Amino acid sequence: MVDDKAQLYTIEGFAAAVIMVFSIFLVLSSTTTYTPGDSHISDFQMQQLGHDVLWSMSIPSASATESSLQQYIEQNQPAAFNDEFINGINNKTGSETDTLQYSASVTCRDGNDDIIQTPFAYSRNLTGGEHAVRATQWALVQQTCPPNTGGPVNPHAMLIEVLIWRE
Amino acid sequence: MNDSAQWIILMGFIVSFSLFFLATVIDQSTLVGQTTAENAQDLGKNDIRDMRTVIVNAVYTNSTFNTNDVKQDIQTISLSRKGAVVDYSSSFHSPYMIILIHYNNGVTVYNETWTSP
Repeated sequence: MVDDKAQLYTIEGFAAAVIMVFSIFLVLSSTTTYTPGDSHISDFQMQQLGHDVLWSMSIPSASATESSLQQYIEQNQPAAFNDEFINGINNKTGSETDTLQYSASVTCRDGNDDIIQTPFAYSRNLTGGEHAVRATQWALVQQTCPPNTGGPVNPHAMLIEVLIWRE
Repeated sequence: MNDSAQWIILMGFIVSFSLFFLATVIDQSTLVGQTTAENAQDLGKNDIRDMRTVIVNAVYTNSTFNTNDVKQDIQTISLSRKGAVVDYSSSFHSPYMIILIHYNNGVTVYNETWTSP
């Protein structure tokens, strides 16, 4: 028999259903998963560190002298570059060092207007799985392009590119 | 129907909704940090600093490098390795050297008139 008792129970049931659906919606929308977002912040710090080390290497120790970065490229001294750069990015306060690795290359322009990138120094081989950031620095050098191929050296602006990653 | 103590249920609703609201706020706050870091990364601050230093060094500090070849180096390598259009020209108005520097990487445009000290 249809009668009009207990209408309040029906309304209560609807209200409860609406509240539960709304609650589920809120729960799902408040816990979105997103791709490694926070890593941007540490990436940025690592990139800035690489820039700063390269920047300090490109400052001459006295006026009218060459910076260490210029000397390393002009005299082809990847080992000396490696010493200074790996110390620069890994030194920390205290006796422990950081675990950053790098791979550096030199980019120049040859007589045919082609851009030539040659590996210069590295602390680890790049396998492709690293999550690396890039830091660059210009250097004015007397060199051939590509570097150290013999022949007359000329004034060139070359770009040192370094990939840095945390091991 | 027993209609006593409804305020307990009301308080329960208020507390649970405010918890969801707080969770949403926390979720959004991490996104804010991410976009800030991305913006700082995309701004070519270091690129511009390096570019203007190398230009001033080439034109003014060490005149060995004030050649068309070096200018072509800077322009071509900037375009191919950094995606930035760079141009500069210098003129001498005694006793000052003036360098006009232009930089555009598609997002950031930088123009400078550099005067020697």
